[in-house]
Amino acid sequence: MKQPIICLFLLTSLGLSAQDKKPKVSVSGNMGVTYEGYGLNRNPTGWTGYSQRKPWNQVRFTFQPTITTPKFSLPFNFNFNTTPTNFIGPYAGIGKQSFGQYITNPSNNFAVNPKYKWAELQLGTQYLNYSNLSTGDVGVFGAGFDLRPDVWRLKFFTGVSQQGVNFFSGGANGSYKRKNWMAQLGMEKEDSYALLFNFAKGKDDKNSIPLPPPGSVLPQEGFTMSVVGKVNIKGGWYFSTEGAQSVYTKDLFLPTSPTAVAMKPFLDGNTSTVKDFAAEGMIGRKSKNFDMGVKVKYIGAGFQTVGYPFMQPDRMDYLLNTRFNAFKNKTNVTASIGQRVNNVSNTALKAKQFIGNLNWFSQINDNWSVNINYNNFGFQSNSGINPFGIKNVSNDFGIAPTYTWSNTKMVHLLSLSYNYSKYDERDVITGLTTSNNTHTALLTYVPSFLTKDLTPDFSVMYFINKLPGFKTTLATLSTGLALPAMKKKLQLRGQLQYTFSKNNTFTANNNFIASCTIDAKLNKKTTWTNFLSTNYFKHGNELGLPFVGANYLESNFRTGLMYRFGK
Amino acid sequence: MKKIFYILSILFFAQHSIAQVNTNLVLSPNPPASLIQWSVSRETLTFIVFPSAQGIRGEYKIKTEIKLSDGTVIGKTDLNKSKTYTLSSATTIFNAADVVPLESMIFTGKYKNSLEKTGKLPADNYEICVQLVRPPDFAPFSEIKCKSFYLAATQLPILMKPYNEEVLDYDIAKTTIIFRWTPVVPTPKALVTYKILVFEVLENQNPVQAVRSNFPILTEEVRGVTQYIWQPRGIVDLSDNNANDSAMQQRKGWDGTIKGGSKKYVWIIQSFDYLGQPLGDGNINADGVSEPVAFFVRQKVKAIKIKDTDKQ
Repeated sequence: MKQPIICLFLLTSLGLSAQDKKPKVSVSGNMGVTYEGYGLNRNPTGWTGYSQRKPWNQVRFTFQPTITTPKFSLPFNFNFNTTPTNFIGPYAGIGKQSFGQYITNPSNNFAVNPKYKWAELQLGTQYLNYSNLSTGDVGVFGAGFDLRPDVWRLKFFTGVSQQGVNFFSGGANGSYKRKNWMAQLGMEKEDSYALLFNFAKGKDDKNSIPLPPPGSVLPQEGFTMSVVGKVNIKGGWYFSTEGAQSVYTKDLFLPTSPTAVAMKPFLDGNTSTVKDFAAEGMIGRKSKNFDMGVKVKYIGAGFQTVGYPFMQPDRMDYLLNTRFNAFKNKTNVTASIGQRVNNVSNTALKAKQFIGNLNWFSQINDNWSVNINYNNFGFQSNSGINPFGIKNVSNDFGIAPTYTWSNTKMVHLLSLSYNYSKYDERDVITGLTTSNNTHTALLTYVPSFLTKDLTPDFSVMYFINKLPGFKTTLATLSTGLALPAMKKKLQLRGQLQYTFSKNNTFTANNNFIASCTIDAKLNKKTTWTNFLSTNYFKHGNELGLPFVGANYLESNFRTGLMYRFGK
Repeated sequence: MKKIFYILSILFFAQHSIAQVNTNLVLSPNPPASLIQWSVSRETLTFIVFPSAQGIRGEYKIKTEIKLSDGTVIGKTDLNKSKTYTLSSATTIFNAADVVPLESMIFTGKYKNSLEKTGKLPADNYEICVQLVRPPDFAPFSEIKCKSFYLAATQLPILMKPYNEEVLDYDIAKTTIIFRWTPVVPTPKALVTYKILVFEVLENQNPVQAVRSNFPILTEEVRGVTQYIWQPRGIVDLSDNNANDSAMQQRKGWDGTIKGGSKKYVWIIQSFDYLGQPLGDGNINADGVSEPVAFFVRQKVKAIKIKDTDKQ
């Protein structure tokens, strides 16, 4: 912990001295520290109907200076906190961490990327995105390089993406230590063409923890290789494609088998090893006022890569996207239409999903503008062992006209937005479809003073959701005010919100939220930020005895100092 | 002479029928589609070999056949490679690792391809038949025990609304956000519990990193339904400086501009069966988590531009 602080002071002094006389060395970026406190009081005692939403105390450090010389740059990217807050994944529920677990915890980043001309050394935590099908979502703590001489690309990185974590009941889920490496080689000219070969591997150390985690957490190994091709040609046409092959072993405890699928020398297989491929392609044309593209993506049922651990396999997506501007750019339209088919491999029930989106904005004249949007999702699957198949259809339509007018002192903005949302679900046993209908209306008024620094806003929202046997109504009043103080060295903002909500015939729930922000410029480079919010909610009688009138008070306080390097 | 032959034959068959060992096969009616999971979830298949009342001893192998509902055999044990056991005087309990040992099973045609690609058999009705046989001639040593089962891989939900990179209007989202997702397919007999989790994507984080490291601002469980209307009650707030661009700066910033501001969030659905176990065989994280989807909350209506003429 001491070493980063020493570096921080050295860099601060370097940054300060560097500005005095137009130096060849410059420092940019920022550093800061933020404390966040959270409080929750629930009444009556014993009522647990509302859960904690933030850690009680958290301190976050940011240290991101970049030292630059004409040929050399040294960016630091240190973001770390004092309290682990992992909820999902191998570190979930972890309490006290070892040093190795701390530096590889995904909530902490410690990275230095010194760069000399076209050569970059990558040290520490890196989230490297090589391509859409090889690796991109996993942070690895280790070392590597990224070399880009002329059009050539040569990248390599190796390290640890997770440490071994012991399972204990009620605490961490447990995991095996996973080592990763990734490599890329090929040619690339930005905005012109690319031909890149990617390789990504991850392997769990099955002996990294004394007791294997229970359940289905098994030591795994995966290797993926892919080839990416991209071409941009005259007239705005572009084409890109990627094909990938993965080999994945789901249980390293099983003995290797000569007859199992494998990809030597990268991976020896056993009976849990699967091998499949994935591909995506995109073609389209871009111009100033018109874009159109088609994207197709196929992920095989057995395609799994350690670089994208949440990627959903066994699907085929088709999507047509378009965007155009018309009437002297006063109308902008974006739209997409497509389909996703799940279970192309037939190992599950086939399911189809229709996707359609439209957003239309028109500036009718200096005063009037209107925004219209429509979204449709449909999902259907075969019945399997049930009498009826699944059929869910979601339709959303929204229209939002806005009127602005002004005089010499003020600009007024009045916006009304109405959204209708319908969600139909078919019961797979009875075949009956239930409709869930939602109407939302929002009226917003924002006056902007041209001669004063006050910025208030007001909004009223009405929301109603109906489904058979249930009805929820909400009404929200909200107002905010922003203003500077102390010769603009202080920026203040406050917001108040009251919500009345009612479920069926129960008595109403009441919610009151207040928040304020105070930002102070201590000097040209240092800002002190503060945020305080409180949320009081009181239930009506919907919870029944003994919790009629149950309520909670939630508070959130954040204060931080941010220092900006450079000018 | 004929009489002696008949008597010997009767004695031989009687001895052989008596020499058969009693067994019992128990199979979950909806086993995991991934055959490797059969061994991991030990309750999927249990095969019990009872001790012989006649005190018979000897070696045996487990012969397994997997058939389609029309009787076509699509996979069977390679008895030359499979393990040999010795009949014990105590009850012996086997599970899927012994009865369906993938390293010594032979599958045919498209079933072999499917297993190599996915580790799963195609969705269909199947029958598994298990019998003890004696080496070296693999003569029957027990009755054949068969059980039917239905296989269909579980598809985890796909997150529909908010869709990936959707921009929600802050003035609505601070009061309600509607989440919709597709149900688990095929529909299990018992209601599925869906846990909805929302995480704020902090500055310098990517969405998956936020999922793996942050405390969720929403954790809510619903059963059997695929829509949840969230009332964020203050947790979705663009007033603080964690917004991508400070709301202060957006609305009336240091430079006098008025812009829209935004924050990024990511949501996931975690699916559980009626026992509280995560669903989704083949899910490499073994946690029933669907592919995360990121969305933005943005102050759309504040994106007004003050004309220079108005400023003067």
